[in-house]
Amino acid sequence: MDVSVGPQHPGSGHVRLLMRVDGDYIVSIDPDIGYVHRGCEKIAEYRTAVSNIPHLERPCIIDAIHLNWGYVLPIEELQGVVVPPRGQYISTIAAEMNRIMSHLYWLAINAGVFSGHTTIFMYGFGDRDLFIELMEMLTGARLTYSFLPPGGPRRDLPAEFQKRLTQLLDYFERRLVEYDRIFFSNPLVIARAKGIGVLKREEAIRLGVTGPVLRGSGVKYDVRKVEPYGAYSELEFDVPTFEEGDSYARFMVRFEEMKQSIRIIRQALEKLPKGPIARKAPLIIPEGEAIGRVESSRGELVYLVAGDNSDKPSRVKIMNGSFRNLVAMPYLVRNVHIADMPIIYGGLDYWPVEADR
Amino acid sequence: MFLGEMYEGIKHILKRTFTMKYPYEKPLLPKGFRGRHILYMEKCTGCGICAWICPERCISFVPPADGQQHPQNPENRFPQYWYARCCFCHFCTDYCPTGALDYSPDYELAEYDRELLVWSPERLARIPTNGTYRSVFHADKGSMGVTFEPAEKEDKT
Amino acid sequence: MASQSPSKAEDLVNTLKTRFPDAVKGSKVEGPRRILITFDKNTFLDIAAFVRDGLGFDHVKGIAGIDEPTHKLIKVLYFTGSFSKTEVEDVILVLETELDRGNPVIASAVSVWPSAHFHERETFEMFGVKFEGHPDLRKLLTLDNWDGPPPMLKDIKFPEMGQR
Repeated sequence: MDVSVGPQHPGSGHVRLLMRVDGDYIVSIDPDIGYVHRGCEKIAEYRTAVSNIPHLERPCIIDAIHLNWGYVLPIEELQGVVVPPRGQYISTIAAEMNRIMSHLYWLAINAGVFSGHTTIFMYGFGDRDLFIELMEMLTGARLTYSFLPPGGPRRDLPAEFQKRLTQLLDYFERRLVEYDRIFFSNPLVIARAKGIGVLKREEAIRLGVTGPVLRGSGVKYDVRKVEPYGAYSELEFDVPTFEEGDSYARFMVRFEEMKQSIRIIRQALEKLPKGPIARKAPLIIPEGEAIGRVESSRGELVYLVAGDNSDKPSRVKIMNGSFRNLVAMPYLVRNVHIADMPIIYGGLDYWPVEADR
Repeated sequence: MFLGEMYEGIKHILKRTFTMKYPYEKPLLPKGFRGRHILYMEKCTGCGICAWICPERCISFVPPADGQQHPQNPENRFPQYWYARCCFCHFCTDYCPTGALDYSPDYELAEYDRELLVWSPERLARIPTNGTYRSVFHADKGSMGVTFEPAEKEDKT
Repeated sequence: MASQSPSKAEDLVNTLKTRFPDAVKGSKVEGPRRILITFDKNTFLDIAAFVRDGLGFDHVKGIAGIDEPTHKLIKVLYFTGSFSKTEVEDVILVLETELDRGNPVIASAVSVWPSAHFHERETFEMFGVKFEGHPDLRKLLTLDNWDGPPPMLKDIKFPEMGQR
């Protein structure tokens, strides 16, 4: 019997998973994507280099700083613009705050609501709102930042920002202990997620998955360590890796990443240098092609930008984590109970708008 | 066995809740909040950089309503915004070379008529008066961790 | 430094060039982490198998198509990376080939890199490139009943969005 999950999803974005079901077991699954495809890459050829920023940060709006930063890295390389150190630190602080916010959204919806745990949904969104307030103080907008044009950030840290951010991080560290008690050590969650959807290390490498899915299967790969950008080369942090490869390991990777993000932000606030935050960038993209990559919350995000000496790029290619992790879905959801499918889907943190662009 | 989790839930029952009763209580917006734009007509030179950089192409140029010639604006044209398309990125504000555009905390822009969403330069030049903003909430060392208090200062716009 | 001993990136290029002297048509090294190899499309599967087993690049991060109507070509780029070999784990090796714009056909990489499955489907749909040997080549992102031309080609223009 064929069961079609979707394409309307109140929780995640719109994707259709065509499941072939035999009794209570899923025999195979065929993801049918493209319900939110807008032609991002084609539209990007009609906008100038700076005007593209609000357009290209929309695919995964809860992770907007990373999508923005990955796009300006190749443009800065082609134009020969170097961002000053203070600008790199501010971008790093904003990016790590964005990572915490994206993981809180994941925790609330993909791990919480999809497994039926509505308390963590309330906790996750409530705490995320405090971070949104601070980003509003920094950039002026709650979710659609457009904060990093080529050359550096648009604004400097406001006067009270450092004090309020430190206050928030102290509060959030206490909340993470509560999250652990209510969700990650909850016997019900452990029973639902441990041992489900096991992706072994060789398979993860062969399928080319990325992000927390890869680190939950024992491969220690993080673009922030492999090819440091921003201020990451001067900051100390760990890359959490778990060996089991099941859904619970993927949950725990994101939980530990939130703690590491707090550590990074604290160090960056201490070591913040003085000086200018941005350089003026030219308005023309010179001829050539450049590749830039960042570690977004869902995995490695690679951009190819090709210019032809005009103000508009001639080709923008986006390779993001959600699209690469899609290949793991038909592989993992085989011969499992129907009730295990939301847990595996939530563990992959698939963001349909980002995958479809 | 479940005592740890149940304690987590029960300890919040007797705490004070917080609800912001919009529209009687509004959040205190930070300086530089990206609401609608303010146009200073005595500074605008009609160069057109705002229209060129706009990602949504929502800015077009019109002559001023009173027909008066402004000395710094040789072509006598001022920007007109179409707020149905604007994404409030404020690249126009940042890239304006004379500083003729500014941020404002005005976000209540809903209309019943679609034509009213096109804002003429004179309408943009009006400084918004949104009244006092009353409350602010932020993380604190309080018992629940989050406090909610009325703001003392008035919004200076 | 580079004049005394070849860097790791140049080493990889030289290994590839000595193994496939005719098939590798050009190369470009931009910094220690970006390598571009242009190759002849007829020997694609041999080169891909050597890049995976001999050089250690075990997955494909993405496949990009670039349309060049003035040269009557469609360029297809494979972005490969390595998770298992630590010496080259920070390198992105881009394999580039040029296909005839009237009839773009190339062998499918799914037998070598299973991670290329969905990327090839997307390039087939957006540029019209046919990948021979792909197990399930059908449309991915556009509507099920879309029968128009491949959308990302430069012939498809949108004049209402402005000048390009």
